[in-house]
Amino acid sequence: MTTNQKYNQFIAFLIFSFVINASLSSRNWKAPDDQKDKNSYIKFDASTAAQGEAIYNANCASCHGNPGKNNALKSLNPIPPDLSSTASQSLTDGELIYILNNGAGLMPSFKNSLGEEKEWMVISYLRGFNKNYIQELSKFDPAKSKLVKLVSSFDKASNSIIVNATADEKNGKIAIVGAEISVFVKRYFGNFQIEKALKTDASGLAKFSFPTDLPGNKNGDLEVLVKLYDENYGEVQVTKTYSIGVPTDKPGLNEDRAIWNTLVKAPLWIIGLYATGLISFLLLLAFLLNNLRGIFNSKV
Amino acid sequence: MLDKKTSDQIVADLTSHIKLSMGFKVWMAFLSVSLLVCLYAYFLQLRDGMIVTGLGDYVSWGMYLANFVFFVATSLIGMLISAVLSLLNQKWAAPLARIAEIIALAFAAVAGLVIIMDMGHPERLLNVFIHGRIQSPIVWDVTVVTIYVLISALFLYIPLLPDLKICSEKLTNIPPFARKIYTLLSLNWSGTTEQKNLIKKSTGALSIFIIPVALAIHTVTSWLFANTSRAGWDSTIFGPYFVIGAFVAGTAAVVVAMFVFRKAFNLEEYITDFHFDKIGKLLVLVSLLYLYFNINEYMVPAYKMKHADAFHIQTLFTGSYAPLFWATQILGLILPIILLILKPMRKPLPLLIISIFVILGAWFKRYIIVVPTMEHPFLPVQNVPINFKVYSPTLIEIGVTIAPMIMAVLIITILSKVIPVIPIHETLEHRNEQEK
Ligand code: HEC
Repeated sequence: MTTNQKYNQFIAFLIFSFVINASLSSRNWKAPDDQKDKNSYIKFDASTAAQGEAIYNANCASCHGNPGKNNALKSLNPIPPDLSSTASQSLTDGELIYILNNGAGLMPSFKNSLGEEKEWMVISYLRGFNKNYIQELSKFDPAKSKLVKLVSSFDKASNSIIVNATADEKNGKIAIVGAEISVFVKRYFGNFQIEKALKTDASGLAKFSFPTDLPGNKNGDLEVLVKLYDENYGEVQVTKTYSIGVPTDKPGLNEDRAIWNTLVKAPLWIIGLYATGLISFLLLLAFLLNNLRGIFNSKV
Repeated sequence: MLDKKTSDQIVADLTSHIKLSMGFKVWMAFLSVSLLVCLYAYFLQLRDGMIVTGLGDYVSWGMYLANFVFFVATSLIGMLISAVLSLLNQKWAAPLARIAEIIALAFAAVAGLVIIMDMGHPERLLNVFIHGRIQSPIVWDVTVVTIYVLISALFLYIPLLPDLKICSEKLTNIPPFARKIYTLLSLNWSGTTEQKNLIKKSTGALSIFIIPVALAIHTVTSWLFANTSRAGWDSTIFGPYFVIGAFVAGTAAVVVAMFVFRKAFNLEEYITDFHFDKIGKLLVLVSLLYLYFNINEYMVPAYKMKHADAFHIQTLFTGSYAPLFWATQILGLILPIILLILKPMRKPLPLLIISIFVILGAWFKRYIIVVPTMEHPFLPVQNVPINFKVYSPTLIEIGVTIAPMIMAVLIITILSKVIPVIPIHETLEHRNEQEK
């Protein structure tokens, strides 16, 4: 073997291993190892799959197309994969929920808009395309989330929302430590997150400093949504209304008279103009018909 | 020339075409058969839906809307010749007034139909009346087109009263029931001073009122385009630009009608070379104005070359629409202007040929205004088949486009067979005045 041949072989090897490598890790996202084995606490059945299908059609089909139909939105880069494909089905449930929670590239995160329960339902629907799939349920007991007491309060002095997470265990009330808390304000579409998600401290508390310029309704009311996520206790959320927004009393865009509004709310000038034109025509018509009558009745 | 004729001769000349001649029957048969063929195309469109046309998500207006604009445009001539010229005391135009009104009525009445034929669900026209909002230009358009049709009909009918009486008295060779209808329609006309005054007042009011209405119908039609912000439509001069363009198309249409009526009805002594010369000059005048508007309409965006406008202008000037664009501008506007400045070109035959080019140019100009803009939407065009992006009309669509043209010609043919196309009463009065 000449050096040249050796060299060529080496290049061939490089290319070969590159191709193998690329095909193995063509995804540009990766779930952390501790998330890969996460399983659903909801048992997948026909009912969850049916609910998941509706969620899929409303949230995913616009990009991914219908499973197995090869009608994904081809203008995106990368093209959203067909989720019924073997490649996608080889992902673990943990990986699936990870990408739904975190998004990847053009794929948005659905953590806040759907939430974990609905995400599992979509996954339940997707697993229906995989004959070999056998569900492994999470050891997590959903009944435990019933024990959680999630209380929020507003602290005027520091202008912040303080969240207190406790659980009514058999042996008394305990603070939930290290749970992930996120706080949102509800708006017309979706939720607006306040700060980042925080972990509860040793006494089960998390403190979110609240912006002073959020527009509320007439009374400055804002609906605040607090979400807890904990390995042990699952997902819990509570909403509460606080008068901590800036009072705003703007009429809706369609409440005043406007060009784009309904007929009864047409601008007066346009009603005036249109009516003037129409009435002038009717007057002319009356005048002409009267003249014709005059001609008809005229005596020689 | 006319003063050598007796009144009876004039009446005989001007009513001689009111009879069912062989030529008329053959012509009507031809028109009816062609119309049936085109209506079959419309039937296919109704049965199978708009899929049989070349229209799609992007070019949703296409040929039909170009046709609509053309019809509204041509109908404006009634206002120019019968109202404006008579208010300006242009006596030469008086014998042409009725021809202009017949064209106006026919084209305005059919314009409404063109819009309905553009709809996949024609019955949904009712929604305009049920859910229409007066903020919408569509509602204004429906309103003004309807008003213009009514006014044009009255403008044709009221000055016609004396002539209807003459018809009922002098037409001895028509069936008695037809004479009855003439008598009925003439509303007891006997030429009293009171009656003459009432006609004068009515036509006076109509001549004035029809001007804003006619301006309104074509300005509103232009607003259907100009009230959006799309390249090629987003223009502040679209109203007057359309109106002047309308005068060009309408004047040319009157020339064709004059020529045909003169030949077919032996009206050489009533529609003379003098009239052709005059209307030829009118055509130059309105064409020059239209040229001016064209220069302004293309110059301003072409100078600024804003992104979307630049794309549009390039398509027209050097791109895929360039052949059609330059053909309409040169053959339909610039050459006619140059030729019509020469007196020999304003003789009947050359003027007829030039006018036919002007009419063709006018139709394709509307096409150029409607279609290229729709092919360039602002939002990116993604994942669509090529026939969505590039519009090409189908055969069925062409048939549905020709149908209204035949209908308009049919209406004009029938009207010209039942009423005198040259106003008899006025011709007589004019002659009597000259004798005095
Ligand atoms: C905005 C378009 C878009 C929407 C909406 C969207 N996705 Fe995605 N999705 C993508 C893209 C693009 C990728 C590829 C990401 C990459 O590899 O960078 C992807 C990847 C995925 C993957 C990984 C598949 C694999 O084989 O790697 C899953 C699973 C997934 N999406 C599920 C969903 C679900 C479920 C929904 C609806 C709740 C959804 N997506 C909504 C664009 C979208």
